Amino acid sequence: MAPPKRLLIVDDNEDILSTFYEFFNSLGYEVKTAVDGFAALKVLRDKPDYFDCLITDLVMPNISGVGLIAIVKKEYPDLKIIAMTGYGDQPGALASEAEADLVLFKPIDLFKIEAKVSELIGQNDE
Amino acid sequence: MSTPLIGVSNSILKIKELINHVANTCLNVLITGETGVGKEVVAHNLYAESPRAQNSFVKINCAALPETLLESELYGYEKGAFTGAHKKRHGKFLTADQGVLFLDEIGDMPLTLQSKMLHVLQSGEFSPLGSDQDFKTDVWVIAATNQNLEERIQNKSFREDLYYRLNIIKIDIPPLRKRKEDIPALIEYYFRLYRSEYPTGHGIKPDADTLAKLTAYHWPGNVRQLQNCIKKQMVLNDWGKILEELPEDPEAAPRVSRENDTQNSDALFPNEANSERMKIISEFVDLSTSSEKLFEDISLKKIKKLASDKVEKEVITFVLDKVGWNRSRAAKILKVSYKTLLYKMSEFDVHPPMK
Ligand SMILES: Nc1ncnc2c1ncn2[C@@H]1O[C@H](COP(=O)(O)OP(=O)(O)OP(=O)(O)O)[C@@H](O)[C@H]1O
Ligand SMILES: [Mg+2]
Repeated sequence: MAPPKRLLIVDDNEDILSTFYEFFNSLGYEVKTAVDGFAALKVLRDKPDYFDCLITDLVMPNISGVGLIAIVKKEYPDLKIIAMTGYGDQPGALASEAEADLVLFKPIDLFKIEAKVSELIGQNDE
Repeated sequence: MSTPLIGVSNSILKIKELINHVANTCLNVLITGETGVGKEVVAHNLYAESPRAQNSFVKINCAALPETLLESELYGYEKGAFTGAHKKRHGKFLTADQGVLFLDEIGDMPLTLQSKMLHVLQSGEFSPLGSDQDFKTDVWVIAATNQNLEERIQNKSFREDLYYRLNIIKIDIPPLRKRKEDIPALIEYYFRLYRSEYPTGHGIKPDADTLAKLTAYHWPGNVRQLQNCIKKQMVLNDWGKILEELPEDPEAAPRVSRENDTQNSDALFPNEANSERMKIISEFVDLSTSSEKLFEDISLKKIKKLASDKVEKEVITFVLDKVGWNRSRAAKILKVSYKTLLYKMSEFDVHPPMK
């Protein structure tokens, strides 16, 4: 059997974080979470090449999602990135500029984001 | 050389760690915090730890200049661009190329210049006043403000799009009153610095009681105000007077009258316990070094020795004094051999008082 796909989910809202965690976990993903960009960066630097996909909020303290995406794109170019934002167009536009693979607007349909995740990671496998 | 970021509080340690992780990214940084908290120190530390440290660090204060002057300072101008432009002048965006441009007090930048700034940050290009040529520039933008930019966005005096573009990495420095553990460390560091700078100054360091008062004070002017107190002490050598002259905390009075309020006293005690702790630690550990060095320096074994030496010395002196410096009597009282006492006296440099 193929190993489970690994996700890193980043959001400063604990409710969103636990909802995402439960959902992806129940579908057989291995999920790790981080509460802001700095925490996420430390997880990534600790385990480079471990994750298949990063799902990140954009407006967060210390390192924003946009900053995280820019750093990840440079240091871990193979990691797929989905950005989500609840703050209107601005951060979303910056996330696209930082080359997120996908930008979604909150509120987010969990089944839809799961479909996108498996699509992105699937491409990665080929 | 840049000022080291002194401090042992969790907030300062976290900021140091963040600097360490992002200094090589050259992503725009926004530094916020009250006046005198160290925004410029943080900006300079980012620069010093970055691959751009060999290039220039160019600072511009967006609050200090009138709009047109600020614009020509930032972008430069061609000869004849306006009356008085007798010859061409480079702007800071050009002089900072390959280096850091530190936009201080960005919250005070006029709206029209904010649009132009946004454009430059988006495109990496700008043109000097009176020129139709575009210049490419590669600057690392670090901005700072003591204003609440979210509020300024609400009342439309700061552009939201510029805010998000600057706010890629955000470093918020809490006021000194929210990280009191840093106060003894800062005092130690600046005492040492000013001693070497004012060789004629002879102010003595604060004693435990004064240190407690300095630590409890609310420091509305933050580190800068603390520095000024220490400079004053170098000259006056009168802590009593310096403490007396500190402006009072307007919120202190109501806090005292609500002393029975459990929530309040709860918040008060850990702080006091903390400053008491830092006071004790500062006797044995040099808190004024960087955190990495500090952690290297701290070793229980070493501190145990320093602490017990200090107490032993006092006890030995006390007993000798009581018995008129009769060393064999003192050794009996202390329950050590005569030889041990002599050895300890010489180790701790204990001498009978001059007659
Ligand atoms: N953590 C620190 N360690 C050592 N020195 C500090 C620290 N924080 C501040 N200082 C010193 O305090 C003074 C004020 O700091 P700084 O100029 O960086 O404050 P600022 O936040 O930029 O203030 P303002 O908003 O008034 O411009 C400087 O002399 C600086 O060197
Ligand atoms: Mg400043």
